[in-house]
Amino acid sequence: MAGKVKEQEAIPVSKVQRAAKFISTGAKVGGNYVKHYAKKMVNPSLDKEVLHQSNAEDIYNSLSQLKGSALKVAQMMSMDKNLLPRAYQDKFTMAQYSAPPLSYPLVVKTFQRYFGKTPEQMFDTFTRSAVNAASIGQVHQATLNGKTLAVKIQYPGVADSVSSDLKLVRPFALRLLNMNEKELDHYMEEVEERLVEETDYHLEVERSQEISAACAHIPNLRFPKYYHEFSAERVITMDWIAGKHIKEWMETNPSQELKNQIGQALWDFYHHQVHNLKQVHADPHPGNFIVQEDGVLGIIDFGCVKVIPEDFYQGYFSLIKKDLAVKEEELNKIFYSLDFISDKDTPEEKTYFKGVFKEMISLLGKPFHVDRFDFSDDSYFEQIFQLGDRISNDKMFKKSRQARGSRHGLYINRTYFGLYNLLNQLQAEVITTKPEWLK
Amino acid sequence: MEKTPVKKTSKKDTKQLILDGFKTYVLEHGAEPKSIFKFTKDLKMKEEEFYTFFTSFESVKSAIWVSIYDSTLQAVESQEVFKEYSAREKFLSFLFTWIEELKKNRSYLLSLYEDKSKSFKGLPADAREFKEKFKDFAGEIVLEGKETQEIASRPIISDKYDEALWLQVLFVFRYWLDDRSPRFEKTDAAIEKSVNLAFDLMGKSALDSFLDFAKFLYQNK
Repeated sequence: MAGKVKEQEAIPVSKVQRAAKFISTGAKVGGNYVKHYAKKMVNPSLDKEVLHQSNAEDIYNSLSQLKGSALKVAQMMSMDKNLLPRAYQDKFTMAQYSAPPLSYPLVVKTFQRYFGKTPEQMFDTFTRSAVNAASIGQVHQATLNGKTLAVKIQYPGVADSVSSDLKLVRPFALRLLNMNEKELDHYMEEVEERLVEETDYHLEVERSQEISAACAHIPNLRFPKYYHEFSAERVITMDWIAGKHIKEWMETNPSQELKNQIGQALWDFYHHQVHNLKQVHADPHPGNFIVQEDGVLGIIDFGCVKVIPEDFYQGYFSLIKKDLAVKEEELNKIFYSLDFISDKDTPEEKTYFKGVFKEMISLLGKPFHVDRFDFSDDSYFEQIFQLGDRISNDKMFKKSRQARGSRHGLYINRTYFGLYNLLNQLQAEVITTKPEWLK
Repeated sequence: MEKTPVKKTSKKDTKQLILDGFKTYVLEHGAEPKSIFKFTKDLKMKEEEFYTFFTSFESVKSAIWVSIYDSTLQAVESQEVFKEYSAREKFLSFLFTWIEELKKNRSYLLSLYEDKSKSFKGLPADAREFKEKFKDFAGEIVLEGKETQEIASRPIISDKYDEALWLQVLFVFRYWLDDRSPRFEKTDAAIEKSVNLAFDLMGKSALDSFLDFAKFLYQNK
């Protein structure tokens, strides 16, 4: 029975149960290391990838049973591809699509609690089982007056367990991400804030409507309509967006022109949010984008929105100016303001980190330095991964007693990594627009 | 009993009056009334009127449990989708609805049963009638589950399944009494989890195949 994705498999709810889950995973991971070194004695050429592979599987298995925030963290780790060894990535990417659904009676109960009616009374049809599982909820398909709707229902107890979940994930994140503790706490605080927001479905509907209205003028984008009257604290109803996920769509061999069109729509969408709205859909994982038949990109799920503070925005984006690397003084000022370096650092630490960050910036800013950028260039991504690998294994980073980089940067970085990755998946070449003040 | 046809409307009202009066008293005083005499006096009725419906406070408490059960069943069966449910879903649906009904009486139930040592004695006696009725319902679910192969028929043990489901009801009740999560969401999750376990255990599993195999080896030695 174990391992089978089955309906009604409930979330282990008490802290003890969850902890037990993690301990058993910990034991397995430990076992994998033992196995690895035992094998290595016999076969010294054994690659660490194999070890990562079995670790990734065990960790994924336990995370997917936990759903909720733990799964969210797994997703996030899979997003920050540059931080994770390759073998973990693929396994975690799975987390973005599948998690076992909840039973129908509980769905009915949720409906009765918020609307005083059963799903059948509210809609013409309503699927008994979930058609799609999200990390903190599941999606049912419904029809009403000839319209197809998507109804997202949140798992009970998710909102409550966010912070206790994150505490449990901590040791694993520490191990996987190779971060020091200070840095991780810094990271976790921001993550917790976003996750708690994500469980607030009222807020999500509000933001979805706001952002989709503000982005309505961008060509080749489509947003679902949200239905207030069928939405509540734990339920969101919106238009059903038919189409294919990017990965599936790519298998249909679309023309380069279409790929560029979708890619450009995606780029424009983010450009407008970041530079004009100053708040951004910070969850660019493939499950949130749907390519429709007419070559239009559908965007769903505004659970995770990061508001960009003005002073952070100025500092962060002035980094992508091409000639900045030369102006040492200006650069130093920005590094200080973004907490990359501080007065607590020793002179050699300062020089070292400045060097690393400069390298990072010039690499990540590359698409901005040209008018058109071809994201199908895998060698560019290889460079990013390598830099990420090098940083995460670097002693200077592990030794460093303080967190580096403003906390706001976490989600903005994640957004851009996600965006780059999606564009890479799309094999698209896009016009990389920049705001006026950066030209 | 609830089911007996009521001849005069006033009779039904008196009964309901006693039930409500008892609940109110418990809610306000945190304990049962001292005597039936005192209780009926407060309700401005004759003591013998009380005995037309109940013999003691125990039977009043019992009737309250039964009325909660009855309204649960009524609510559950009024859902059209209920008939299409599998046995597992039916039981889930029952528990979810039951918790909703309990919620309406939470303070009353808390003041009577929160104290574990007292409720250990009191609860089984008060809920006896409810238990009998519930076992009828559970028996139907089990029977249906057996027909659809959702539940495995096993000698001796499978006759006790209704009893097992009853234990689960008690577990859910206890869990709910101690639940402090908003909207009792933890109880919802506890219900899902425990019902899954119960039905997985009752369903055909590796153990059945193992026993079958062992029996085969033993018989053909």
